[in-house]
Amino acid sequence: MKKINETIAVILMLLATVGTIIGVFVIEGARRKKFYTVELIARSPLNGNWYPKEFKVPLGKEAKIYIRNVETVSHGFSLPEFNVSAREIKAGEVEVVKFTPDKRGKFPFFCTVWCSNEHLHMSGEVIVE
Amino acid sequence: MADKLFGLIDLNWRFELTKFKLIRNLFKSRWFPLLAIIFNLFIFVIILISGLIGGFSAGNYNFGIMIVWILWWVMLMFILVPIFSRAWCLMCPFPVFSDWLQRGALFVVTGLKLKGLGLKWPKALKNMWVMNILFLVTTFFSGFFTVRPLATFILLGGIILLAFLIGLVFEKRSFCLYVCPVSGFQGLYSQFAMAEVRRKDPEICKNHKVKTCYVGNECGYGCPWMLTPFNFTKNTYCGMCLECFKSCPHDNMAFNLRPPGVDLLVDEKRGLDEAWKAFIMLGIAMVFFLTMQGPWGFLKDWVRGTSLKGYLTFISLHTAFSLLIVPAIFLVFSYLSKSFSGAKEVSLKKIFTNFSYTLVPLGLGVWIAFSVGIVLPNGSYILHIISDPFAWGWNLFGTRSVPWTPVFTGALGHLQGAVLIVFYLFSLAYGARLSRQTYPTEEQAKRGWIPILIFLTLATLAFLWLYIG
Amino acid sequence: MKLRKNILIISSFIVYGLWFMPGSAQAAERFFEIKAKKFSYTPNIINVNRGDTVKIRLLSEDVHHGFFVDGYGIKTSAHPGMEGSLKFIADKAGRYTFRCSVTCGEFHPYMVGYLVVGPNSRFWLYAAIVLVIGIGSLITLNRARKTNG
Repeated sequence: MKKINETIAVILMLLATVGTIIGVFVIEGARRKKFYTVELIARSPLNGNWYPKEFKVPLGKEAKIYIRNVETVSHGFSLPEFNVSAREIKAGEVEVVKFTPDKRGKFPFFCTVWCSNEHLHMSGEVIVE
Repeated sequence: MADKLFGLIDLNWRFELTKFKLIRNLFKSRWFPLLAIIFNLFIFVIILISGLIGGFSAGNYNFGIMIVWILWWVMLMFILVPIFSRAWCLMCPFPVFSDWLQRGALFVVTGLKLKGLGLKWPKALKNMWVMNILFLVTTFFSGFFTVRPLATFILLGGIILLAFLIGLVFEKRSFCLYVCPVSGFQGLYSQFAMAEVRRKDPEICKNHKVKTCYVGNECGYGCPWMLTPFNFTKNTYCGMCLECFKSCPHDNMAFNLRPPGVDLLVDEKRGLDEAWKAFIMLGIAMVFFLTMQGPWGFLKDWVRGTSLKGYLTFISLHTAFSLLIVPAIFLVFSYLSKSFSGAKEVSLKKIFTNFSYTLVPLGLGVWIAFSVGIVLPNGSYILHIISDPFAWGWNLFGTRSVPWTPVFTGALGHLQGAVLIVFYLFSLAYGARLSRQTYPTEEQAKRGWIPILIFLTLATLAFLWLYIG
Repeated sequence: MKLRKNILIISSFIVYGLWFMPGSAQAAERFFEIKAKKFSYTPNIINVNRGDTVKIRLLSEDVHHGFFVDGYGIKTSAHPGMEGSLKFIADKAGRYTFRCSVTCGEFHPYMVGYLVVGPNSRFWLYAAIVLVIGIGSLITLNRARKTNG
C-alpha cells in the first residue's frame, strides 16, 4: 500500500514539473501548426525592430500572420498594399491578421502606433512568391 | 481575573479545530501538505515558464508577475499570515526537492536517518540576520522583478535552486529557518496570527519519554524545523509542516484558533534580529509606497535603474533608512521610555527589544493597507492572465479580453484608513502589556509606556498621511 | 465607564464635523494641462476644492498614455500629438490617485499622480480617530490602574 502511494506521489510530482513543461509546449506547437504561417515579433527599432524583418508568403494562398508584442509599449501593424491592418496591439498581447496575396513582389509593412522616437523606422517587408 | 483583549476577548481563549474528526484525519494523513505542495509546484512551474517567455516585456500582462506579486502577495498579507500563521510554508513548493533528496521519498517515512551532508547550521547564524539582509537585498531589485517577467523568473528560480543546494549541505529545513527571504517576515508577523500549532496536554508530553515529535518515528519525520513540538510556545519558527501530528502516538497535537497577537507576549527567543525584521518591514513599506504608489517620477527612475548613480542613491538611501534611521528613531523613543519610567535597573536593550514587538501589528496593518492599494486598481489583470498565461493568445477560461478594470477605488482611502486604525489598536493593546512585562512595577510601566505610545501614534499618522493625506 | 462614554461622544462630534466639513464658498472652474511622460505626470499633484469643475487637457510626450481617476471612475488617453481631455465636478473630497490606463512601459502600473480634493476631510477624519484613540487609551489605562491599586 505504502509503495503504491509513493509511486502515485512521484508520478504526480513528475506531472507537475516535467509533465507541465512538456504539455505546455506540445499544445502550443500543435496549435501553431494548425493556425499560423508566420510568427512576427514586434519590437521598437532600438530594441531589435520587427523580427523577422523580411518574410515570404506564397501567392494566392491565405497567409496568417501571428504578431506578438513582446515589449512594454503598444505597437500596430499595417500592410497597405493588401489593405491589412491590425488594431493597437498592447504590450504582451498577440494579434492575428489574415490576407490573401494576389500579386508577386516586395511590399512594406509598418508599425501604426507611436511606440518610440524611432517609430517611423519600424518597418519590414513581405515577399510574395 | 482573565486578561482580556480590548476588554472583550480572553487572551487564553482557544478553539481546537482538530477536535473535528475530519480535520484531524486530514492533518494526520501523509497526503495533506504533500498534495497542496505538488499543486503549488504546478502553479510555480507555469509561473517560471511564463517568466522566461515573457522576458523583458511589460509585466502587467504576465502570468508570473501577476500571480506572484498580486495574488500571492495579497493572499499572504490578507489571509495566510494574519489568520493562518505560516500556512504558506505548509504548502510552499520551494523546499520539496531537498526534502525528497534528504528523505529519499516523497510520501513514505523512510527512516530516522536522512541523506545529504546534514551539516549543522553555524551557530552564529542561527537567527534572522541572514533573512533580514537577503530580504532587504531582494527589495533592491523591486523595480525589476515586480515589472519584468524575466527578473521574476531569475528571482524565483534562484530561490528554488538555493533551497535545493542548502538542503544538500545542511540538515532538514535549515533553508526555511535561516535563509529564505520570504520566511522572515512570515515568522515575525505570524506572531499576530489567529491560529497556532501547539501540544494539548503537557502531562502527556512529560510522560512520553521518546520525543517522537522531535526524533521522528515510522509515521512521521522529526520536526523538520528543528523545533520541539512538545513544548514550543511561539509561532515564529513553526512552519506548520504537520509532521508532529503524524508522529505523535498520543494524538496530543492541536491546531487552535486564538485571539490575534497573543504570541507577542511570549518572551521566548526575543532578540535584536527579530526587532530589526520589524524595522526593515516598516522601512520597506514606506520606500515601496513612495516608489510604487507615489507620484514622483525621479524616484521611479532611480528604482528602475535608468542611471547607475540614481540606482545607487536609491539602494543607499533605502538601506540606510531601513537599517539605521527607523531603528535610530525607535532607539530615541526607547531611551525616552527608560528615562520616563525611572527604572534604572532595566537595560535599554531589553526595552528596545521588547517594545519592538509593538511594531508587529502596526507593520502588518501598514502592509495590508499598502496591498489594498495595489490589488484594487490592478486585480483585474488576473482575469486576463489566467486565460492567456503565456501571452500566446490562449483563452482558457474565456476571460482573455477582460480589460483593465479598477474596482472600489473610491473606497480605497477609507479601507486604508480603517485598516491602519484597527492594527494601531492592536499595537496599543499589546504595547501596554509589553510595558508591564518590561518594567518591574505598575507605575514604571505606566510612565515608560507613554513615549512608545507616542511613537506608535506618530508612525500611524505618518503612514496615514503617506497613504491618504 | 463615564469617561469612556464622554470620549465616545466627543470623538463622534469630531468625526461628524470632519465628515461634513464644507468646501470652499464658491465653486470655481479649474483648468490643468498635464503632460504625461514615462512614468510620471507633470504636474504630478493637482489641488482643487470640493465642488470645483475640473478641466484637464492631457498631452503625451512619448507614447500612448492614459489617465484614470480613482474614485471618480473616469478616464481619457493621449497619443503624442493627439491630446485627451476630461471634465468633471470634483464632488468627492479626499486624495485620489490618478493613474495611467494604457500599458506604456514596464513601470506602467506605477505611473500615478494625485488629485487632492480639499479640504482633505478623509485624512483628517482618520487622523482624528487615531489621536482620539491614542489619548483615550492613555486616560483609560491610567484610570484603570488607579482603581485597581
